[in-house]
Amino acid sequence: MLALETLHGTRIVAAPEALDALDAATWSTSVTVLRFAPDDVFVLGAETISISGEYAIVEAESGFVGCWLTDEQLAHVAEHIDWPLPVERPVLVQGFVAGVPAKIWLTSSATGERSLLLCAAPYACELTERLA
Amino acid sequence: MNEFVETLLDLQWHEPKSTYDVVIIGGGGHGLATAYYLATRHGITNVAVVEANYIGSGNSGRNTTIIRANYGIPESVRFYQHSLDLYSTLEEETGCWIMHATKGLLWLAHTETAMRSERARCLLNTACGAETVMVDPQAAKAICPQLDLSGGGRYPVLGASHHVGAATARHDRVVWAYAQGAMRMGVHVLQNTQVTGLLRDGERVTGVQTANGNISAGVVLSAVGGNVTTIANHAELRLPVRTHPLQAFVTNGYAQSLGPIISDTELFCYVSQTARGQMLIGAEFDPQPSYSTQSSFNFLQSCTSKVTHLLPFLKNLRILRQWTGICDVSADFSPIIGHTGVDGLLITTGWGTWGFKAIPAGGSLMAELIATGKTPPLLEPFGLDRFASDQALADQGSTGTR
Amino acid sequence: MLWLTCPICGRRPIDEFSFGGEFPTVPDRITDPATRDVDYVWMFDNIAGVTTERWFHHAGCRRWHTARRDTITDAVLHTGIEDATDTVL
Repeated sequence: MLALETLHGTRIVAAPEALDALDAATWSTSVTVLRFAPDDVFVLGAETISISGEYAIVEAESGFVGCWLTDEQLAHVAEHIDWPLPVERPVLVQGFVAGVPAKIWLTSSATGERSLLLCAAPYACELTERLA
Repeated sequence: MNEFVETLLDLQWHEPKSTYDVVIIGGGGHGLATAYYLATRHGITNVAVVEANYIGSGNSGRNTTIIRANYGIPESVRFYQHSLDLYSTLEEETGCWIMHATKGLLWLAHTETAMRSERARCLLNTACGAETVMVDPQAAKAICPQLDLSGGGRYPVLGASHHVGAATARHDRVVWAYAQGAMRMGVHVLQNTQVTGLLRDGERVTGVQTANGNISAGVVLSAVGGNVTTIANHAELRLPVRTHPLQAFVTNGYAQSLGPIISDTELFCYVSQTARGQMLIGAEFDPQPSYSTQSSFNFLQSCTSKVTHLLPFLKNLRILRQWTGICDVSADFSPIIGHTGVDGLLITTGWGTWGFKAIPAGGSLMAELIATGKTPPLLEPFGLDRFASDQALADQGSTGTR
Repeated sequence: MLWLTCPICGRRPIDEFSFGGEFPTVPDRITDPATRDVDYVWMFDNIAGVTTERWFHHAGCRRWHTARRDTITDAVLHTGIEDATDTVL
């Protein structure tokens, strides 16, 4: 049974150029930058974020729940995905996992990093049940 | 060839004549029923039904054979109840066994919101002549013992509306019963004759072009399913219609009897049992318009997961066949019947997922319209001009399961 | 059609997407303004062939994109994040 817990991060909606810069910036290793869409990122673990751009929206975001996966758990989750996972790492993939809208931040297990499974908070119970 | 079709072998098939009083495009239920009622009720027998393939090869042979009248607005309830009444005497009238069986329909509700709309539906339907009563979960279970009242723990049944008069009939037999009745009266049924265009005299439509030559007509009726826009384009007629695929499937035989038809407003699916004992299961039409009759695994997945919550015994059955029809869905989910604004061209379309149950009423009222030139009161709400005059019918009861 | 390629997320099963409708067009031959309005609101081209339409990837990036699809074969010829008003398509 996966334990999905609330992820406290920062949601930024801004022009794609501004977010490209953010994406490319080097962060300390504890920071995870999840690019949901060209104009939309979710940053986990950053203390302060400064972003250029007049219309950038920067808000604290607690609307997602997630769980860092062991290799074994990731393999189990992958069995519930109908679409092929890309080979590149690290990469964010989004789509139905066990029929529930979810996202996975896939990292290379060779470097000892774990992958993160996350979904919108209202789907937490449904996703947990379906993956059980 | 089955026994039933063999009894029809004495039918006279004809070469097309060059002119008819009425040419009907589309040899499905609505086209053939219109021809049948023109011949039997109004003495108009100089009629041709032009079918691109074989009769009943379109949606008339692909639907889920349910006949019901529990719709959401008075106009619809009255119209479909008329159809339901005509169906119940059709065997007697045509002498053909269409395997008509009155089963009743249970419309399940899982939330208070759905309960409210089912109560409203009961009052409205009963007031308009389609007997529908509210039943509590125990009564629903008594009507259909296979029902899991807990809905697999997810969709508890709070109650249901019971539409007592709902029925099923064998769809291809209905088509053949009308074809046979019409042909015996002298109607020409021209199979494998695709309409490639409309003959025009100025604005007026004066006949049809077919691959086998032109046929002129006093009146042309389009009773086409799915491809109606192609016909309308020939007359530069704009229609509020989109073509959507609708899928269904049957399982292998179930040894017991499933009494009523089970339908569900919230899960958008319905289940009935065929005369062979197979379970016939359907759902909503696909959201995107398409002319493709490709069936999909996604549909099977989502549909089976829903119906097995309500009827757990379905888990032990196997899926035999899955198929798709393409249906013309109108912008307000109600049929479009009558004049088109183009002289000489009438239309019956927008039958979406509710065409089979309407065949007798649609056919007989359209025949009356053609014969008398006057729109029968039951058809008045369903004219094409309702969109321009802001009188579209918002009937959520129209679609397959709502 | 079983799969659609989201320009952001990649190839996904069709049930991850919501259909957003074709681009409405009104034929030039209709000149009366009121009739044009009725046509724009209610009538559909319902093309048997290639249509240009909007799709929303609700299970993934939650962004709208544009697809060109053949409604006879359900083959998807192109998907992109072009703006709805883009006439290049």
